Amino acid sequence: MAMERATTSPQPFTFLLAPALWASRNRARRRQRGDLTRAVIFGGIGLGVAGVLFAASFWVTWQVTQYADLGDYLLRLGLSWLFLTFLSFLAFSGVVTSLSTFFLSEDLRLLMAAPVASRRLFHARMLRTVGQASWMVVIFLVPVLAGVGVARCVGPAYYAIALVTVPPFAVIPVALGAMLTLALVNVFPARRARDVLMLMGLLFAGALVVLLRFVRPERLLRVESLPDVSAFFATLQSPITPMLPSFWAGETLFAGLMGGLDWLHLAALWTTALGLVVVARMAFGRWFFSGYSKAQEARRARFTKLTAVEAVVRALPMSAVRRHLLLKDVKVFLRDVSQWSQLLLLLALVVVYLYNFRVLDLDRIPYMTGVVKNVYGFLNLAMAGFVMATVAVRFVFPGVSSEGAAFWIIRTSPVKLRDFLWSKFWAGLLPLMLLALTLTIVGNRFLGVDPFLQIVTAIAVVFMSLALVGLATGLGARYPRFQAENINQVAGSYGGVAFMISAVLYIATMIALIGWGASNYLWAQARRRAMHGDELTAVIIGFGLAAVVSLVVFGWSMRSGVKALDAMDQTPA
Amino acid sequence: MIAVENLVKRYGAFTAVDGVSLDVQPGQIHGFLGPNGAGKTTTIRMIAGLLKPTSGRILVNGHDADVEPEAAKASLGFIPDRPFVYEKLTAGEFLRFHAGIYGLDGAPVATRAKEMLEMFELTRWEHELIESFSHGMKQRLVMAAAFMHRPSAVLVDEPMVGLDPRGARLIKDVFRRMSERGVAILMSTHTLEVAEEMCDRISIILKGRIIAHGTVDELRTLAGSEDEELTPVFLKLTGGSGLQEIDEMV
Repeated sequence: MAMERATTSPQPFTFLLAPALWASRNRARRRQRGDLTRAVIFGGIGLGVAGVLFAASFWVTWQVTQYADLGDYLLRLGLSWLFLTFLSFLAFSGVVTSLSTFFLSEDLRLLMAAPVASRRLFHARMLRTVGQASWMVVIFLVPVLAGVGVARCVGPAYYAIALVTVPPFAVIPVALGAMLTLALVNVFPARRARDVLMLMGLLFAGALVVLLRFVRPERLLRVESLPDVSAFFATLQSPITPMLPSFWAGETLFAGLMGGLDWLHLAALWTTALGLVVVARMAFGRWFFSGYSKAQEARRARFTKLTAVEAVVRALPMSAVRRHLLLKDVKVFLRDVSQWSQLLLLLALVVVYLYNFRVLDLDRIPYMTGVVKNVYGFLNLAMAGFVMATVAVRFVFPGVSSEGAAFWIIRTSPVKLRDFLWSKFWAGLLPLMLLALTLTIVGNRFLGVDPFLQIVTAIAVVFMSLALVGLATGLGARYPRFQAENINQVAGSYGGVAFMISAVLYIATMIALIGWGASNYLWAQARRRAMHGDELTAVIIGFGLAAVVSLVVFGWSMRSGVKALDAMDQTPA
Repeated sequence: MIAVENLVKRYGAFTAVDGVSLDVQPGQIHGFLGPNGAGKTTTIRMIAGLLKPTSGRILVNGHDADVEPEAAKASLGFIPDRPFVYEKLTAGEFLRFHAGIYGLDGAPVATRAKEMLEMFELTRWEHELIESFSHGMKQRLVMAAAFMHRPSAVLVDEPMVGLDPRGARLIKDVFRRMSERGVAILMSTHTLEVAEEMCDRISIILKGRIIAHGTVDELRTLAGSEDEELTPVFLKLTGGSGLQEIDEMV
């Protein structure tokens, strides 16, 4: 029987979402090694976070409810503020997501070449953009709003109102973001626009972290500052607030909490959302194709030559092969905005971290201030270890995977895979050790930790850097993900999770061993006497074991990484 | 220059390459033909050091690839079918990096890189990021890199994919000049005209086994074909074209 000739697709626009849904279904069906571990770990973390959010929102609502009218006022302001925070997040997320879904997705070539009506394509992509950009906000809102509802003992009407409030609230900023992207892509080439957005986003996130920290929200937890709470929230209000969808969403939900229904603000949300979708559809109908077409153009990319970096690397005393490997890694990293821009966020976190120690007022504790300071010194060491592990899983662990499909170049060259892996190790070790030493030394200085302990923790950080970078490099070679579309996915892979678990166990062991050794010294110090023979032995054994464990973790990881690379049978090419 | 003896590659119960033996002499262009899935790319990847053979022996310039892998690779250039390279490097930087991992450094590398860029008509792109290159340009860049370190033998997997006629002509000329200078070239291809035009000898692989090898004339005799072109000879040796079925479907 002859097949019918193709015509314009009669399928509804939701059909265009089918490949993504089928792909998700297939991924869920396909069993991979470590799936169960991953599911248990991430599921557990997710449930834990949801539980904490629920408990926190329940507790806060319960507390403010005790203050009658003031409590209602605070709750109202709090909801408005919560939605205001999400509004900015959603707007930014909408811009970034729509750049990918509307202009850079690989499947667009297929869809644009197929007889799919532009209106259908817009609806499908818009729905996908809203889903992708807002799922995190929705998942966050569920336990928070549930906590508020349970604390106020409200009926099912409140939850129904929440269900019809959140979707239009998510659509508004995402639609605006999509239109901004449309404008940007028509001005810049898509690749450049992506870099600009990535950088803007990370600067925004970094600034937000620093800002939230410097506002010092912990002041709110002090009983004596309660009268200042309304003033604190009031500083976050401005005359344009009632014009924002976050205000409308807050008002609608607050009315729901009071047992009523705020038709005006709910209608404002829905009409604005639908109106914006219509406007966006018209705008995309007019300018989408020109923007998409521009996104395909291979413009000459602007980039930095990094001559200074080249000069520095060339001055390093190493073989030509290692120098070239290092130079390549540094250049590739520094030219990829999505990679180096994450350092800005890291910098913001480091500032906040050190600031926390700066403002920690331990002298207010009436007794045993010295002991508490030294305990905080260990806490600082553990925190520095976790920071190192987190940075290593993001930047060092994907070292081998980052070669991606170009790994054939290394495999077919006469470079020993041992040399290749060691170049990855050195490239990761120096910056990470510098970061951890800064955190430990500066943090301990701010705290006023015992000088002996300052030296011990600084030396411990050197050993921990060796072990953690070795572990990340070695496991990265054992569990590479060359096919990952995006290097950020590598950290969340089975190997990444295995690294984090191993790293946490290692850090805990180190803290226990060093803590045991150092406690003997500190005990003698507190009693203002010299150490006994058995105490000295304990110090030596504790510190010695910590050094041995570090060297074993480091040596075993690197050896097993080299072995895994040598035994690798499949190379992408 | 490239000698392969009884090469076998098994994936579980499936044998992808089954006892393949090849011998490519200096200055020879050896064509490696076969239908899709016959084992061409697997064989080439094993010689390049990307896949571990289940058994068999590979010698490149006298070096056993299993015993002295670095020495074997130092004599070899490899051109894969898909040109995946570091997108954030410029063409010039990529060639210098490539030379670097082959142990070459200093002023001669810069001169050699310029020569290669000129030979593959990429000079004006030397300082541009590879991410802005077309597929054909990336393919030519990978070829330039493969010849950077003056290899004694070159492996080429599907050299003409994605090249325009001018690019294809250029590659043919380069391969011919290189073979005249004594470089042994083992080339897998689907383009029978290319094989016929360029190759001194041809091996045909089917279901992992070499079913025929020799010059084009020897293959013609083997197939008992009177045809001038290689295509009917190839189809006869590898099992027909199924044209009748195609007619029915169309």
